[in-house]
Amino acid sequence: MEDNRENGMPDLLNLQEFDEEALRKESEEVLLMRLLTAENAVFTRTDGGFLALEFEEKKYDRVGVYLTFPLTNPREYISIREADEKAREIGMIRSLGDMPADVQDMIQEQVRLRYFMPVIRKVMEVKDEYGYAYWHVQTDFGSCRFTTHMGGDAVVALGDARYQITDIDGNRYELPDLYALTVMERKKLDLFI
Amino acid sequence: MKLLYTLKESQQQALSLKDGETIWYCVPVDLAFDNGEHSARTSYTDQTWIVVTEIRLMTLRGEEKTSEHLLSDCEKIKCEHQVGCGIVTVFPKQGLPECIARFSMRHIIRVAYAVRGAQTLVQAIQEGWSGSGNAYAVRENSTGESAFACDDISHGISGNREEESVRMVSRVESREYEKYCEKCGRALPGTSKCMYCDGKSEILKKFMALCGDFTGRLVAISLLLVLLAGINMFNPMVQRYFIDNALASGQGTLTDLWLFIGLTFALTVGGMACWIYRFWLCVKLGASLSMSLRAKLYYKIQVLSLAFINNRKPGELMNRVSRDTKQIRIFMEDVFGDMFSTLVTMFVSLIMMLIISWKMTLLSLVFVAAVLVIIRMFWHHIHTIFHKQWLRADDLSSNLQDILSGMRIVKSFGKEERESARFTEKTKAFAAIQKKNETFWAVFFPIMTFLLGVGTYIAIYFGGVQVLDGSMSVGQLVQFVTYSGYLFGPLSWMTHLPREVMQMLTSLNRIYDVLDEEPMLADKAESKAFPIEGAFTFEDVSFGYQTYEPVLEHISFSVKPGEMIGLVGASGTGKSTLINLIMRLYDVDQGKITLDGYDLRDVQMECLHSQIGVVLQETFLFSGTILANIRFAKQDATLEEVILAARAANAHDFICKTPDGYNTYVGEHGYNLSGGERQRIAIARAILNNPRILILDEATSALDTESEFLIQQALNRLVKGRTTFAIAHRLSTLRDADRLVVIDKHGVAEIGTHNELLEKQGIYYGLVNAQLRMSSGEK
Repeated sequence: MEDNRENGMPDLLNLQEFDEEALRKESEEVLLMRLLTAENAVFTRTDGGFLALEFEEKKYDRVGVYLTFPLTNPREYISIREADEKAREIGMIRSLGDMPADVQDMIQEQVRLRYFMPVIRKVMEVKDEYGYAYWHVQTDFGSCRFTTHMGGDAVVALGDARYQITDIDGNRYELPDLYALTVMERKKLDLFI
Repeated sequence: MKLLYTLKESQQQALSLKDGETIWYCVPVDLAFDNGEHSARTSYTDQTWIVVTEIRLMTLRGEEKTSEHLLSDCEKIKCEHQVGCGIVTVFPKQGLPECIARFSMRHIIRVAYAVRGAQTLVQAIQEGWSGSGNAYAVRENSTGESAFACDDISHGISGNREEESVRMVSRVESREYEKYCEKCGRALPGTSKCMYCDGKSEILKKFMALCGDFTGRLVAISLLLVLLAGINMFNPMVQRYFIDNALASGQGTLTDLWLFIGLTFALTVGGMACWIYRFWLCVKLGASLSMSLRAKLYYKIQVLSLAFINNRKPGELMNRVSRDTKQIRIFMEDVFGDMFSTLVTMFVSLIMMLIISWKMTLLSLVFVAAVLVIIRMFWHHIHTIFHKQWLRADDLSSNLQDILSGMRIVKSFGKEERESARFTEKTKAFAAIQKKNETFWAVFFPIMTFLLGVGTYIAIYFGGVQVLDGSMSVGQLVQFVTYSGYLFGPLSWMTHLPREVMQMLTSLNRIYDVLDEEPMLADKAESKAFPIEGAFTFEDVSFGYQTYEPVLEHISFSVKPGEMIGLVGASGTGKSTLINLIMRLYDVDQGKITLDGYDLRDVQMECLHSQIGVVLQETFLFSGTILANIRFAKQDATLEEVILAARAANAHDFICKTPDGYNTYVGEHGYNLSGGERQRIAIARAILNNPRILILDEATSALDTESEFLIQQALNRLVKGRTTFAIAHRLSTLRDADRLVVIDKHGVAEIGTHNELLEKQGIYYGLVNAQLRMSSGEK
């Protein structure tokens, strides 16, 4: 039995060396910022509604589009990642504006699919009742009713007049500018802001 | 949670269901998705559904079928969590993945369950299910891996013993509660029933039943309340009689005066005594009630399975035990007693006032109504400003906590100035708002009290006029004024009442929500208790904490009594889950685990748990002495037994060196033990209990070499002759395991002795090598 173990060793070491090499390579690669540009990357729409990519002689049937600064810089430093669970990074787009118009459209489509945060245009009603607030608002997605807790976490300031509201399901709504609302609407938000 | 919504007749027709085809799952989605263009739209939708039958997956918008997939063409169907939303993706056997629907977080749990259901159908079809009936046969070879039931394939595997097992396709069900009431749309506070729609009377009934245990005290309280109201009512009558017959008539004597003073004094003192006694009774009742509820809750939470507890947010159950029961106590103390006596007093006062002069009563009531309207108008404002103050206070305290717990970082980056400036700003804001609110309150409240008094002035004016023209006696007027005081006094207090009652009902609702929960893992009448040998078999076991997310699938292997099994695998593969199943903290979703030939579900919990010893990575010591901690599982152990156990666990030496020996207080606020020392106490605890089954979950990770050696030694003594399941990241710890089970991708990937697995050159082989390399690298 001992022999077996001994015999196994050299093979093991080789295998390990290979693995370690790969790991080291991977962690080195993270240091490197690989930029996707109009020249080196070819994006295409797939029939299923996703995005395919050809980059450095590799073809990806489906890639994920991740915004790295979704709230402040949604058009910059977009990370393009593999679609599996590991979501390894393929490369980054430094600025969407540098890409051709059709690629911009494709990327934006994916962003629209992946990110959901309706923008509140108009506050119709906010009613509070025993620990919950019931909201009725107009968003860029249309009329919407949602419910939040009355606690302090429901409405968070993102900037001076910019707020993010989280409902009890985990949906987030953006209020881009408090002062763009009418006085009456602001009064309805009195409880939170 | 509802997974099968009913569609309208016209929508059903749009699906054009075939003969015998039934809808298994039908759930709504709320974001518009263009299935033709495969693109997300910027709008909500309220008429879109995902429909799953036994052969198809469809989406339906209004009365139009927008997409359709045959389940037999699908490789996989997934619900993918995006950012703030989710999508359903179909992975066809041929071609690229396709997005078919999009929805907000409101529907994600429901859709995830439905998609999980669809996926089990896809899997069953792949395994040979025909789409009719619930049962289907699967041919299995002896290694326990399932194969397709197609004859030609299974014939192809020659030499393997084939078994035919019957699998069931069962509907995926969700035990999660709805978040909103279906009838009124209100948010449900973590309960299954809506208080507004159908919970209220039921809860009150239960509350009454609970009060039934305290009938004596309740009767005493009610009697006192009646007595108290009676005294209150009687007092003005005495006054009137005295004024009219002794003072105003001019025929009164000193005796009358003394009599009056004596009577009034007696009434006041008597009333006060009653009031104090009543208050005392109410406090006692509230305390007993909340205590009995708390005890019931505490017991119930212990009995309920971990699954129930895990479904709830951490802290929420704690709130139910501490905060909700406190709410009930406060209600009983402050509100309950006052509520009834005040209501009775007010009602009787009103009647008496009406009897004396209905005109004057109506006049003053009109004014009261006006005041109520004013309070109502300001109510929202009052609520708002105090809620704001509360928010600020909350913000302030979380900020403070942040800084205090991050003090080391603040200091090491030299940011004290900035942080304290930030904090000062926040306290200033809070102080400002508090000042404003207090000022408002200090002005508002006296004005309201004054306004309520104005009603009395009007009454006095009209009453006075009547007294002057002789249609009313002075005594009657005084009586009227006193009654009106009784009536108007508590009015502002009354405006709080609905809120208090509602709060109490919410708390009760949340408490009964737990109390009414049936323990899923309850012992049955026919459950058996027996001395455990320790033979385990796993037969096609599948399990997931969330039904839509399987952690273990189709696990099959058996363990002989006394065998030591090492569980190996990357983190997150389900090793700890397997152990949870062995300990029966959860029940399996599919298949069964047997212990000495009995289904684990038929073994008495007490019998099972008293014969299992557990040593975990994070050792939890209860607040108490070392002695109490070692004795935890066997309270009647002699001191000698405790010392022997501690010796076997290599713990005796360090325990002797602590100042108070075995009486040393440990746990929170207690004597500080190192990780290795705590571990050894836990081992002593397990040894003392002399369990038949032993579970070691990463027992020796994160320890220095010496402690590890001592613990390893102690464990080796412990393991002898016991069925042991050990998880370890350091594979050297599993040297002595009889067999190793490698878990990968939710299932058993490899099984065998150390050497067998090395020869196989599979996953285990890779893991061993990785660790060899790592340790040589360290050196």
